[in-house]
Amino acid sequence: MNEIERREFLKLTGAGLGVLAMSSLFHDRLLAGTLPADGATLFDERFGVSRETMAKVLATALSRGGDFAELFFEYRVASSVRMEDDLLKESSEDIGLGVGIRVLKGKQTGFGYSSDLSEEKMKSAALTAAAIAASAGTVAPPKLTPVKPDKQVYLLTRPLAEAPLADKIAMVTEAYKAALGHDPRIKKATVIFGDELQVVTIANSEGLLVSDTRPQARLIVMATAEANGTRVTGSDNAGGRVGATFFQSNGTMPKDIGKGAAEEAIILLSAVSPAPGDQPVVCGNRNSGVMVHEAVGHPFEGDGIWQKSSIMHDKLGQTVANSIVTIYDDATIPHHRGSMNVDDEGTETRKVVMVENGKLTSFLHDRLSARMTGVKPNGHGRRQSFRHIPIPRMNNTVLAVGTSDPEEIIRSVKKGFFAHSYQGGEVQDTGKFTFSVNLGYLIEDGKLTAPVKNATLIGTNLQVLKEIDMIGNDLRFFLGTCGKNGQGAPVTAGTPTFKIRQMTVGGRA
Amino acid sequence: MSEKKENPMTLAESLVEYGRTKGASEVEVSINEGSQFRAAVRDGDLETLTESGPKTLRLRVFVDHKAAIASSSDFTKATLTALVDNAIARARLSGADEFAGLPNLEKVGAEIDKLRIFDPAILEMPPEKKIAYATRAEAIGRAQKGVNKSLGSSFVTDASTLYLANSKGFAGSYRSTVAYAVAGFEAGEGTNLFQDAWFEGGTTLAKLPDPEVLAKTAASRVTRLIGARKVPTQNVPVVVEPSVAAALLLGLFAECIDGRGVAQRRSFLVDKLGEKIASDLVTVVDDGLWPAGFGTVPFDREGVPSRKNVVIDKGTLKSYLLDTYHSRKLKMAPTGNADGTTNFYLAAGASTPEQIVASVDKGLLLTGTMGLGTDPTTGDISMGAFGMWIEKGQLAFPVAEITISANLADILKGIEMVGNDLVFHDQTNAPTIKVAQMTIGGTTTKS
Repeated sequence: MNEIERREFLKLTGAGLGVLAMSSLFHDRLLAGTLPADGATLFDERFGVSRETMAKVLATALSRGGDFAELFFEYRVASSVRMEDDLLKESSEDIGLGVGIRVLKGKQTGFGYSSDLSEEKMKSAALTAAAIAASAGTVAPPKLTPVKPDKQVYLLTRPLAEAPLADKIAMVTEAYKAALGHDPRIKKATVIFGDELQVVTIANSEGLLVSDTRPQARLIVMATAEANGTRVTGSDNAGGRVGATFFQSNGTMPKDIGKGAAEEAIILLSAVSPAPGDQPVVCGNRNSGVMVHEAVGHPFEGDGIWQKSSIMHDKLGQTVANSIVTIYDDATIPHHRGSMNVDDEGTETRKVVMVENGKLTSFLHDRLSARMTGVKPNGHGRRQSFRHIPIPRMNNTVLAVGTSDPEEIIRSVKKGFFAHSYQGGEVQDTGKFTFSVNLGYLIEDGKLTAPVKNATLIGTNLQVLKEIDMIGNDLRFFLGTCGKNGQGAPVTAGTPTFKIRQMTVGGRA
Repeated sequence: MSEKKENPMTLAESLVEYGRTKGASEVEVSINEGSQFRAAVRDGDLETLTESGPKTLRLRVFVDHKAAIASSSDFTKATLTALVDNAIARARLSGADEFAGLPNLEKVGAEIDKLRIFDPAILEMPPEKKIAYATRAEAIGRAQKGVNKSLGSSFVTDASTLYLANSKGFAGSYRSTVAYAVAGFEAGEGTNLFQDAWFEGGTTLAKLPDPEVLAKTAASRVTRLIGARKVPTQNVPVVVEPSVAAALLLGLFAECIDGRGVAQRRSFLVDKLGEKIASDLVTVVDDGLWPAGFGTVPFDREGVPSRKNVVIDKGTLKSYLLDTYHSRKLKMAPTGNADGTTNFYLAAGASTPEQIVASVDKGLLLTGTMGLGTDPTTGDISMGAFGMWIEKGQLAFPVAEITISANLADILKGIEMVGNDLVFHDQTNAPTIKVAQMTIGGTTTKS
């Protein structure tokens, strides 16, 4: 997370934004006919924003001398249900409507937004954005040509946004019962199910006009175990850009998620503190994706590159990692939480390989960072909502599979630490990072022994990339919400089991 | 498609009335209208200019103690009435919870003007002056010895008006403003680099110091770390700087005394009211009425009037911080904390920061942490850390890439000195403190 925006971040979190959800308004319209629904039709039919109006607003945005203008229309219906204390506590429905208007002039950005889609209000926001440039002149409205995304990576069959509330209540109840019923030492459980449907239409002064309809759903369970005066919390979750059938499949049924949270809490009851100091660390698959995302991914984001704040900014083409390391980001993986047909600037997404066999091959770019570094945008411009400026972000970040058997990796360590799940992580542009391990294990003589809590892993990005010396063949994905510059973005990060030769583990002596 | 402009309070009250006629037992509607400005400068050039007028409506309905909530930035009448209809239908499907409902009507005692949370001068400040402030702060910071580069500087103003109405007859509104500037810099050599930022500002323009103050503070936070190294793993006393004491220790403590966490038993302070949980030197207060505070509000989001709550009094836990639901559930008096903490602080002690450092024979001055390693259920803290090593009462050399590990219960009991340097800089504030012991994780000692 970028410290610069700390107040903004505090305000955002304080306002309780970012709650995912489910809904019932306008689905008939949004989801009628063949999917994906044409968002442009929605904004025209429901809010009277015709293609001509969009073109006129874009012309207004460029009237002060900007060299690029863009309109980002968003309609988002989100809902959630929460179960706690044996009760369905609360349900929510949230509607986000608005347009974000951006003007670029060289490296400068002007931005304004409005929730009122009248031509007058949009032109006023456009003039605000236009003020980044200081000359005057008249610009002809661009000719907008609608295009369709070249792929469809979301599951829009039986969308959860359309599902009756009773179905969602049944899901959280199933997860809740599974968590509490797992062991008498589980004293409390909280289950939250959220889903949303986001319709976006992006129009820009280069004539692009593209729409995308994006579903998102997630079931989260937290379970608290108590025994002998010790109280610990375990959690589990599953979801993605999926429909109802996802939660009816083995391994991602609500009861599986409830049980997963309870199991972690029970193991944590007997966990000890780690032995602090430098030691070999094995990162388990799935949850260690957070390390791939934070330690490995963030320094490849294009804003830190053109602004030269990232440790990686001058290393393109250089060897930055051990030769067994390949890292990519792929927003086109079907149904994943971080997947997108087009990014929030309308650029087609595709797989981007950042590190190939140890060599730095590409960064993740939005329009501005691509412009500033003289390359093409590669589909990584993302924004939390119409209220936010797009910035380069990850989607589904992956440490590519290696050849080792996970058991063999653990066997190779005489004395060390195994990281299973994390509370979170943070990285600075300098490459320095910190991870908080929720559940880990001691490795003794090549075997996992005592469970461990309260551990921290610290290090630097370049050091870890070079010290990864074994990579497993067991890739799995972790689901998260990445925070950067006060904006949240749904992401996944995938990793097989891998080993870091030496790293600092913090804990209590 | 723009509809006739309606006074927000009238709109809120009419939706409350609409919800009542549609079968809700209780309804609450709030509308927030804002006006935000942000200018970001990097390397002397204006990089980003943002102006906006956010507007959001939130509502809660209760049907026989069953709850549902909703929000919208779509103010179309059809959307808003459908939102209320849906909420009532959803509430009927929720579980009945005897504690769920609106707060009892309480008169707001605070004279809003005396709270000093609205300063028209912030709205009147011309954009050029805001940009100039950020530009100057950045230039001064970049010129400081040891600074490699700027991470950018920005100036932000935010004005908003909140309107709140409910079916028990509450109707209140207030305006508030903030203005603050942020600057961040990098220092260091090779791959041993340090980045950090600092902000200055407040609810009134008078709270904003000369840009030089901001720039020099921000720069010194990184230049003092140049050449930082690891130290061996060991247990030592730790002096915690005010910003870390506030963000890390009080931040985690706030989670542990939050009514929701307590009711869910996700706090190590469950069942500890009236017990001695900290050293005699520790008094912690949440004061929603502190004049010109970042967290000052006349009433919280439920319309419960703000007040001063003493949370720890000389080491004894006196109160949790509660919204209406959890005050009923925990059978305690409401505290006006539906928005969480307001102005939350550790009261000043008698020692100067210099005396505190001088008292340490060997230990750490903790100046920054990284990571999210805090657990309110256990009180465990495990984070990456930066700071200065203390030897024989003197700052000896900078340290980095170490971890700190401790438990908040032990920390609170182990606070041996409290500084006299409390400043209301942020929403959560603390003076310098000395903690008896934490575990530092670093290089492995050869044995």
